[in-house]
Amino acid sequence: MTATAQHMDHSHNETMSHEEHLREQHLMLDPKPRGEMNAMAMEAMHHTTWKFWVAVIILGAIVLVGLFWSWGYMIVEGLGVAGVNRPVYWGMFLVNTVFWIGISHAGTFISAILRVFKAEFRRPFTRAAELMTTFGLIQAGFSIFMHMGRVWLSYWMVPYPSQRQLWPNFHSPLMWDLLAITTYLLASTMYLFLPLIPDLAMARDRSTGWRKNVYKVLALGFRGTEGEWTHLRNAMNIFAFAIIPVMFSVHTIVSWDFAAATRPGWNSTIFGPYFVVGALHSGMGAVIMVLAIVRATMKNMKYFIRPEHFDAIGKLMLIISMTWAYFFFNDYMVQWYGGDKWTHELLHFHEAGPLGWMWFAMLIVNVAVPWAVLWNKKWRSNPWVVFVVGLLINFGMYLERYIIVPISLTINRQPFTWNMYKPGIEIPLSIGTLAFFILLYMIASKLIPLIPVWEVEEGQMAHKISKFGRETVVTVSELE
Amino acid sequence: MVAENVSLLAVFPDLEPAADAIDKLRGMGLSDEQMNIISGVPVTEAMLGRPNQWTNVPRLALGGAIGGFLIGIFLILTPLIYFVPVGGQPVIPGPPSVVVLFEMTMLGMLISTFVGVFLDSGFPSYRPMEYVPEISDGKFAVFFYCPEEAQDKFTKAMTALGAEKVEVAEAKQL
Repeated sequence: MTATAQHMDHSHNETMSHEEHLREQHLMLDPKPRGEMNAMAMEAMHHTTWKFWVAVIILGAIVLVGLFWSWGYMIVEGLGVAGVNRPVYWGMFLVNTVFWIGISHAGTFISAILRVFKAEFRRPFTRAAELMTTFGLIQAGFSIFMHMGRVWLSYWMVPYPSQRQLWPNFHSPLMWDLLAITTYLLASTMYLFLPLIPDLAMARDRSTGWRKNVYKVLALGFRGTEGEWTHLRNAMNIFAFAIIPVMFSVHTIVSWDFAAATRPGWNSTIFGPYFVVGALHSGMGAVIMVLAIVRATMKNMKYFIRPEHFDAIGKLMLIISMTWAYFFFNDYMVQWYGGDKWTHELLHFHEAGPLGWMWFAMLIVNVAVPWAVLWNKKWRSNPWVVFVVGLLINFGMYLERYIIVPISLTINRQPFTWNMYKPGIEIPLSIGTLAFFILLYMIASKLIPLIPVWEVEEGQMAHKISKFGRETVVTVSELE
Repeated sequence: MVAENVSLLAVFPDLEPAADAIDKLRGMGLSDEQMNIISGVPVTEAMLGRPNQWTNVPRLALGGAIGGFLIGIFLILTPLIYFVPVGGQPVIPGPPSVVVLFEMTMLGMLISTFVGVFLDSGFPSYRPMEYVPEISDGKFAVFFYCPEEAQDKFTKAMTALGAEKVEVAEAKQL
């Protein structure tokens, strides 16, 4: 009798500790009162250390000099100060454009695709990812304008009946770029703003002074009536479904900038999906880096962003890395097998040319490193391990774009024109755009709640711990 | 003499008593149009036992998509006015036109969806409104109109169901 009671007691204790373990692991099972979560999100915004301001000043200085002064200098002096020249007319500006558009894919992937598939782990970091989309696209837009050189004539791409009868040529992939990037920038900004409205209303209710006035204006008078929620949810559902094909179209169209040309190495039918997967690869790497930094530097973020989130994103990164490797090999195989003399020349140049190390480094950090690390749950749940993997993937994806654009342009069908590209003012401008992205993100993290608290609460309402026989399991109700 | 109506705001700590309050108000003779739930988290009509909310957002999205498509058609036809011959391609090329049509259709749909939320919700609205800040802290407020002479009866009924406070809903600056 005593033995039975002891066994039951032991079993009860085990169940309790398992439940505690589940709560500790999963944000959705560890609810706090909404008021407390609001206070935590607001405190994360308001709590600013001197290190933050030092970083802002340094980044601001880099932006002023690296981005705005350098760009002004290039506008005054002309594109000659950049390294682009025959035969490499497309240099780092377009590498940066492709890179930043790639980064921007993460927000949509996390917020829209995971929302559509009701992946619950997305809830605390959708906004952190959406912000990357908007700010990444701003850098992509800057990079295109830099590439244009005579940026003051960019209005020529806008269709309006001018006296000179200049009309945009819609045959050109660059016009498709304009349409696709404009659509994506507007759509992702609206998609960022809609779920932000309830959190702005929360911030309005908890703020004073100038902040209250700002949030009051931005919250638009939102109260949370049944009608307001219904309209908002309908709109967010439409956005979640509709922005996915827009996201695919953007990077596919960017790939057509290259693939539509009959150049060795570029003229590939698989470039569209290859670019989209590449974008997701770098985007997810960037998201995980941002989350690791936000978690480490912002107050209360350890409650909202937990190892389970790094684990989930780590799994996605592993799958995306495998998909990228598949597309890379598919593209490489067909080009190699084709037998075209100049394509062979180019492939050889990629691997054995003066910048061949980039080709090997790209494969190591985009494929070997993620495969070696992310299969292990313990490693991929560690924020700093996945931060390093994300950083390496972004380095690798930058190299990939560098190989596709200036290195591939070096080799063409006229060997007498072959010449290596040496970037000039592109380097400070590239550093400037990176600094501007980080600066915008840091400022935004102090102005808007980075955690969509209402989405977290909604998720917590839907989750509970249930018992099936002796097993303690997590169950989710579909509340929407 | 016409009976005056008064608006009350009953604040509940949880969804369950708020849903009970809706049933109770119905039982006390109020119609669904005379009440509303204000919450800091989305709750569906089914959870509250309320009739479906009407929204124009999907219709506006469809209208926007059609509008965007028509603008796309206009854009792809403009080379007929501004003739741009390009290396052996027709003046109005098929595949590039699909790209233009797709992007304009999606842009039209998404902008009109966004604008639809503003139109349907009456945003932006900065006039005084009935609201208590506790709502964004997770409380559920039942806002309803009742005859002035029955105010006490309704207040007691809401309090009995667990309302933390029941007050005359005054329109205040948010």
